[in-house]
Amino acid sequence: MSTTRKRLTLWGSLLLVGTALGLLVFSSFNDALVYFYTPTEVIAQSTELTDSRIRIGGMVQEGSLRREEGTLRIHFEVTDGESRLPVFYEGMTPDLFREGQGVVVEGAWKPGTVFTADTILAKHSEDYIPVEMSEEGIAKSRESILNSLQ
Amino acid sequence: MWIELGHFSAILALVLAVIQTGTAFVGGTLDRPVWVRVSRQAALVGSGFLTLAMLGLQISFLTHDFSVQYVAGHASLDLPFFYLATALWGGHEGSLLLWGWLLSVFGTIAVFSYWRSQSASIPWVLVVFGCLVISFLCLVLFLSSPFDRLIPPPMDGRDLNPLLQDPGMVFHPPFLYMGYVGFAVPYAFAISALIRGRLDDQWIRATRRWSLFAWAMLTVGIVFGANWAYYELGWGGYWAWDPVENASFMPWLTATAFLHSVMVQERSGQFRIWNLMLIITTFALSLLGTFLVRSGVLSSVHAFANDPGRGVYILGFMSVLLLVSFGLLTLRGDALKSENRLDGVVSREVAFLFNNLFFMVAMLTVLLGTLYPLAVETFSNAKVTVGAPYYNKVFLPIMFGILLLMGIGAVIPWRRASAQRMIKLFRLPLIIGFLALPLSWYWGVDHPYGIGALFLILFVITSHGGEIIRSVRARVRKDRLSPLTAFVRLISRNRRRYGGFVVHAGLLVMVAGFIGSGLFQEEQNLVMKPGETVRIGAWTLTLDKIHTVARENWEATEAVMHAQGRGEILTLRPQKRVYNEHSMPTTEASIHTTIREDLYVILGDAVGDGWHIRVFRNPLVVWVWIGALIMGLGVLIAFFEKRIVVARKTVREAS
Repeated sequence: MSTTRKRLTLWGSLLLVGTALGLLVFSSFNDALVYFYTPTEVIAQSTELTDSRIRIGGMVQEGSLRREEGTLRIHFEVTDGESRLPVFYEGMTPDLFREGQGVVVEGAWKPGTVFTADTILAKHSEDYIPVEMSEEGIAKSRESILNSLQ
Repeated sequence: MWIELGHFSAILALVLAVIQTGTAFVGGTLDRPVWVRVSRQAALVGSGFLTLAMLGLQISFLTHDFSVQYVAGHASLDLPFFYLATALWGGHEGSLLLWGWLLSVFGTIAVFSYWRSQSASIPWVLVVFGCLVISFLCLVLFLSSPFDRLIPPPMDGRDLNPLLQDPGMVFHPPFLYMGYVGFAVPYAFAISALIRGRLDDQWIRATRRWSLFAWAMLTVGIVFGANWAYYELGWGGYWAWDPVENASFMPWLTATAFLHSVMVQERSGQFRIWNLMLIITTFALSLLGTFLVRSGVLSSVHAFANDPGRGVYILGFMSVLLLVSFGLLTLRGDALKSENRLDGVVSREVAFLFNNLFFMVAMLTVLLGTLYPLAVETFSNAKVTVGAPYYNKVFLPIMFGILLLMGIGAVIPWRRASAQRMIKLFRLPLIIGFLALPLSWYWGVDHPYGIGALFLILFVITSHGGEIIRSVRARVRKDRLSPLTAFVRLISRNRRRYGGFVVHAGLLVMVAGFIGSGLFQEEQNLVMKPGETVRIGAWTLTLDKIHTVARENWEATEAVMHAQGRGEILTLRPQKRVYNEHSMPTTEASIHTTIREDLYVILGDAVGDGWHIRVFRNPLVVWVWIGALIMGLGVLIAFFEKRIVVARKTVREAS
């Protein structure tokens, strides 16, 4: 083989493998994005969100937490102060999950049914707050990064 | 008082770092050895003062000085001594100080140990380290000071976060940081080479041991973190693709690529720009790793809700570092033209090229998943997370590609491999690889990824083993040695190569662990009353009773269970703990480990008159930890390579 041919073979195969890997990355990426909404936003965009995987964040409404007797099935409402959204979950709840505490629930959105969460995240401790739990924290960090870019 | 002594020492260290940078710069540009000598002494004394700063903070912890805000926030009177002594890096202020201290100490060690052998590089190495130390100390002193007072002092501290009161968490940060900071040495020598225009592989050879050391520490640090997550977080797994885990994984990926691609440059002078890019990227990602974790921009267990002023500083620091490094690289671009030779499309060089491609794609995959949510949050009102399925989907194929290349790259000849040679080298590994089919049938592995992994593991073992057997045979024939002596000599005379083989073996063991625990985990989630049983795998678990236990700084609800199976009876005691200083309960999983599988039990809340119990059967998890140990051993072997690799001249003459 001439050097040019060799080089062509080499770069061609690199490009081919690289492209294949790139396609793999991007095709998996779009499916795996989970957007975060407040109950009010979910209710407003209910139809657009049909069947997409979302996270809903807010507080567990005081007095809304109910367990089906003797099972792992629980019902509660997530509130952002404006709207409430009923949620159903079956399984182990995080250590800090309780009424009046911050919570993020994740699942597929089906309009017209109770939101069935397959994952619950609670505020992790008094020392660290998952950032998305504190609206304030988000606003601040966004501002600071934007400021630094201007 | 101790803390003022520490604070003052840190300020002096900053002043000394400025002197170090200035004098080294003058000494380097004007070629004045005396100035460089002054700079070296400044570096030494600076590290001494930073050590005092660490001591000042450490003593404040040991004496429960709660008038120090940082101590009050991360310790309490009844915190056990072991955790009291290591609480220094339990928060971001202390961790950043630890980083700065390591940086200063490593820099000094490097300068003293290379003082004679690399004397021309030393001034610039001093400048690079000086600048880095200045940047870190400014951050520590002005934006996140662990030396601040809290007046009036509280009676008792707020205690260390219970999740951090675990041996895994005690060792995780220092090892990780030794890894991160270790890359500063090859980075500084690379920058020095760029400034001086000495663009051969001298900087690579000189810092080979530092690169290995840093890589090993980073590996160990990451595994400690995974281990901690497994024991402490109580969700049944050890790797969640959490942004913070990713942050430590990215420099590991590029560093691994670097360790492979430097061999090509040493051998044939190719990949020059590429290697410089890799080490710059690795160090930049190490900084990014530290900052992502410690700046509070990430939503994760590690993210401390805090002041974003740091974020801006850090972003600025990173930008300057990248601009300067890549700016230099561009300036020197012309001089860097590789000795561009392509002998064969099928060769070890090309295998390493593909290895690098896979590692880079892996790194970019993680980078995309980690930074995309931050970018979205910054530039729009939306908030988004990238789930674990993304990483799992992408990483399995990438891992398989890397394993295949590992089997090929370690044994394929340099420069050019004939078709005959290829057949001779890889016929047997392929045949043995296909034994994966009957073996998976026998073991009941029906998942395609499981079969694929088994194929690759067998392929790599055989290709590496074949290479060792061929080399031993050659020595036996040539020097008339017994096979054992020949084997020992072979290893001890090529420690770098066979140390690498051992690292590869460790990775294979780990991969078995990943596949076993990732694909074949079983879970039972149920409400149990005392006396009831649950079956999982070969085990039958019975809940005996629930009672309360207490220790010096916590109280727990504990389930006593016994498990029967595989001819054994064991007791498991999962707990839900409440630490005195904290209102939040933590989950203490009870884990029984065997070589075949882990039995992992978590206690949940009371449900009616029963208790929520979650049981996992995690096959082969312990293989992940054992694999890491084997990798460490391999690095140790490679570390003590005496001879500094093949002389390039002979290769060039031969071609």
